[in-house]
This record gives sequence, structure tokens and C-alpha cells, in this order.
Amino acid sequence: MKDELFTMVVPEMPGVSSETRARWQEEVNRNFLRMKHFSEMVMNPKEPEIGPTPRQEIYRKNKSRLYRYESRRMHRTPVLFVPNLGISRPYIFDLMPRGSFIEYMTQQGFDMYLLDWGVFGPEDNGLTFEDVVTKILPRMARKALESSGARELSVLGYCMGAPISASYLGSTPEFPLKNFVDMAGPIDFAHAGLFAQWLDARYFDVDKYVDTMGSIPADMVKAGFKLLKPTMDLSTNINLWWNLWNPEYVSGFNALNKWANEYQPFPGEFFRQWVKDFYQQNRLVRGELRMGGRPVSLRNIHAPVLAVGAKEDNIAPPGCVKPLITAVSSTDREYVELPGGHISLIAGRGASVHCWPKVASWLAARS
Amino acid sequence: MADASNQLFDMWKKQVEEGSQAWLRMLGTPQAAPMDPQAFWRPFMDQGIAAWSRAMTQGQAPPDLMAQWKQFLDQWIAAWSKVLEQAMGTEAFAKTLGKQMEGFLNAASPVKKAAEQQVETSLAGLGLASRSQLIAVAQQIVQLEEKIEGVEDKLDAVLRRLDAVGGSR
Repeated sequence: MKDELFTMVVPEMPGVSSETRARWQEEVNRNFLRMKHFSEMVMNPKEPEIGPTPRQEIYRKNKSRLYRYESRRMHRTPVLFVPNLGISRPYIFDLMPRGSFIEYMTQQGFDMYLLDWGVFGPEDNGLTFEDVVTKILPRMARKALESSGARELSVLGYCMGAPISASYLGSTPEFPLKNFVDMAGPIDFAHAGLFAQWLDARYFDVDKYVDTMGSIPADMVKAGFKLLKPTMDLSTNINLWWNLWNPEYVSGFNALNKWANEYQPFPGEFFRQWVKDFYQQNRLVRGELRMGGRPVSLRNIHAPVLAVGAKEDNIAPPGCVKPLITAVSSTDREYVELPGGHISLIAGRGASVHCWPKVASWLAARS
Repeated sequence: MADASNQLFDMWKKQVEEGSQAWLRMLGTPQAAPMDPQAFWRPFMDQGIAAWSRAMTQGQAPPDLMAQWKQFLDQWIAAWSKVLEQAMGTEAFAKTLGKQMEGFLNAASPVKKAAEQQVETSLAGLGLASRSQLIAVAQQIVQLEEKIEGVEDKLDAVLRRLDAVGGSR
């Protein structure tokens, strides 16, 4: 059905200027398009196409996968992208054509390696944060190095991927690190916002929680994030209604909405250690963490470091990202605070204007 | 129309301030009489809707009225979001949340155990593998994979050493 069938002409009215009439006409047309797209979304929903950038699976370990996104390789050093474990799937970083961080980075000539942690099941409930840092991440980093033939690797940690990477790099000074980028990754949990407050040991008994539940179900993860911003669904739906006339917005919404509603569970022991060592005891920034029998010291990081905070981030507020800069030994270090929230920092139109060019240019000058 | 918008925004700001104060009072004094949160924004919304319908019936609605309304809604949501964030950032809220979670766990724990036992017994009766048995098998596969990886690592190390020895000769 063509959009022309939905048009209605606003009649001429006394005392109404032609300009006003034209603008009313535009609003009427938009309303018809809103109705059309709404009925399509309800009656004939289409599965959005996600992950458009070609990739190759390099290695798999249990549920985790290492993917390579090949570029024209204008830079010698490849980038290992370490996202969050649990919570959500990593296809947000390669959401749709012209709306993908990974696509952008490969276009800028970076070979990208994405560590997809996978979806853990009840058989993985014994997996700890330490296992992730000492068993999965080192192997994936080694495979990325072998696959690329490069001698050094830039590590880019997003969200929880940043403290995971920092714990590894801080306990493995011999790792051939070229650059480290922390994108919205909490480091100093004393400033980690509402989650830090809610997970405080005085109020939240993580041992009881894990012992009872075994793993952290996706629905609980969802409830926690929804509670963090209770008005999010309302504003999302109002924005959808407002932009429903625009087919590009609708396709972007469909892809993002699919991702936003696919919450992932946490392995129980991972969650226990994550909450205790990071949120409750803040051991990373205090230098009290040990991984695989080795002390974790952020002072062991000497490579150039870029930390990126998002102004409106309520998951990893800028105050908990910025301390990385003073905690490392690097002489080449920079902190930038960009517009947006935790997700819009890395996905969406704003990200393509602010964050992606910044990260790409910073890495390009050092790769 | 600009004056009307300004009046609406002023009114909204006042309501939000009063609303936030009331929320904080409510969270700070749990023993106080129950309050109706809608009371804070209902008069404001009623007046907003009245202003909207007046503009429509008088035929003076400018074409960007929708945009103004959207802007108004955005600001209203942003303001409430801020209020809720402040309220949820209090110790009282964290304490309440913790207590609710504890209550949930206390209630869920025996129910979960009983349900799991029931399912295990039923599956055993049918001669089928239970969930815990399947998990145990999956765990063994994971452990086996780790052992194979360990062997791979050792082989790699031996090959590297052999290469190094070969290269030095």
C-alpha cells in the first residue's frame, strides 16, 4: 500500500495563512504515516537485520566466541573489543548498516576482534570473575594476536569489559599492550551511582542471593536496569510515537528494541565476586585485588590510555570512569566526557558524531 | 502562545519541586500516612489539558503546538526522572529495596527447593534425566574442554621450543 493513499488535504480556512496551512498539512500527513507504521509494527512485525558487518569466528571456548572483523588494515595494531559479560548481547556494537561501531572502525582501517562472552547456562554457575580474567580473556587475546600476526594489541573495554580488561592488564604486565581504551567502564566504584548504593553490603546480601538463586536470571537483571530509569519505557514510547512517521527511525527502533529486550543472565559465582570485590569493596582501584594468584595493580599499565565517560550515564557515571587516568602509570593518557548515556555513547546517531570519531582518531594516532 | 507555554512550564516546575519534596518526605518517614503520588501531578496535568483544549476550541492553535506539547512531555519526564533518581538514591530506598529482596528470597527459597525436588522425583519416576543430571553432564563437558585446551597449550609450548631449538642450529 502506498503512502499517497493516506493523504488528506487540509482545506483552506479564513484567517489561516498558507504557511500555517502547509504546516498543518505536514502534521496531518505525519499522523497518517504514524498510523500506517504503527499498524505495520503490530500486524506485520519484521525481524530486524542485525550484525551486518562480515565476520569470521576465530576461536570458541565454552560459550564464548572470538570474532574477527577484517578491514583494509590501515593500522598495524588490531583492536580487541571486550564488552560486558551478561546483561545484554554484543550485537549492539554492530547493530545495523551505518549504525555500527564495528563497521565504522573497520572502515577506518582497524582490524577488530570482538569477544562475545556468550550466554551462560546453569552449568556455568561456578564460573567466577577470576576465571574470566585468567582463563577466557588471556586465551582470546592470544588467539587475536596469533590470528592477526601482530606483535601488540589495543584493548578496548566497554562497560564491565573495562574492569575485566583492566584486571587482566593490571595482573599481566608482560602482555603486549599497545593502547587501552575504557568506554563507560567503571573503575572507582565509590562513585558508581545508584547500583553502588543498592548493592551496598549493608542492604544487599549477595551470598544469600546467589546461594538461593544459583544464577542471576535475565528477568532479575532486567528488573534492576528498569528500576535504574523507571521513566525510560515511557520516554521511549513517546519518542517512538513522535517519530513513527519516519521509516528510518522505525527501522532503527526495531533493531534497538530487539536488543534492549534481550537481557542475559549472570553466572552465580561471577555475580558474587563482581558485587563483592567491585561494588562492595572497591578492590580494583584500591589495589587489593588478586587474579590467578597475582596482585592486580593498575600501575602496571604503562601503555597509552583513553577513558571515555558519558555525561548522562547512570550505569557507569563519569565519576567512576575518570579515576582510571590517575590510577595507571601511562604518561600518554586522556579522559574525555562526551554527550549521551551508557548506550547512546556507543550506539546511535550521537555516537557516530561524538564517540566513534574520537576513539578512532585517538587509536589511529597510536596504532 | 509563548506566554501560555511559559506559564505551563512555570507551573510544571512548581509541581515538580513540590513532588520531589513530597517523595523525599515519604521516603524519609516510612511511618507517615500513605500518600497519593498522583496528587502532585494531577492538577498540573488537568490544567495543561485545559489549556490545550482551550487553544484547540478557540481555533488559535499554531501548527507547532504538537512540537510544544512534545517538548513539554519530554521536560516533564526528565524532571520526574530526576526526582525519582534522587528518591532512589537515598539510603532509605536502598534499605527498603534490600528488605524487599530479602523477603523475596526468604519466600522463594523453600518454594524453589520444593519445586525442584518435585520435578526431580517426577522425572526419575518417568525414567528421564533430571535437570541436575543434565547440568552435571554439561559441567563435565566444560571441564573436558578445559583439559583439551591445557593439552593444546602444552603442545604449543613444546612446538615453540622445538622451533627455537631448530632455529638456533
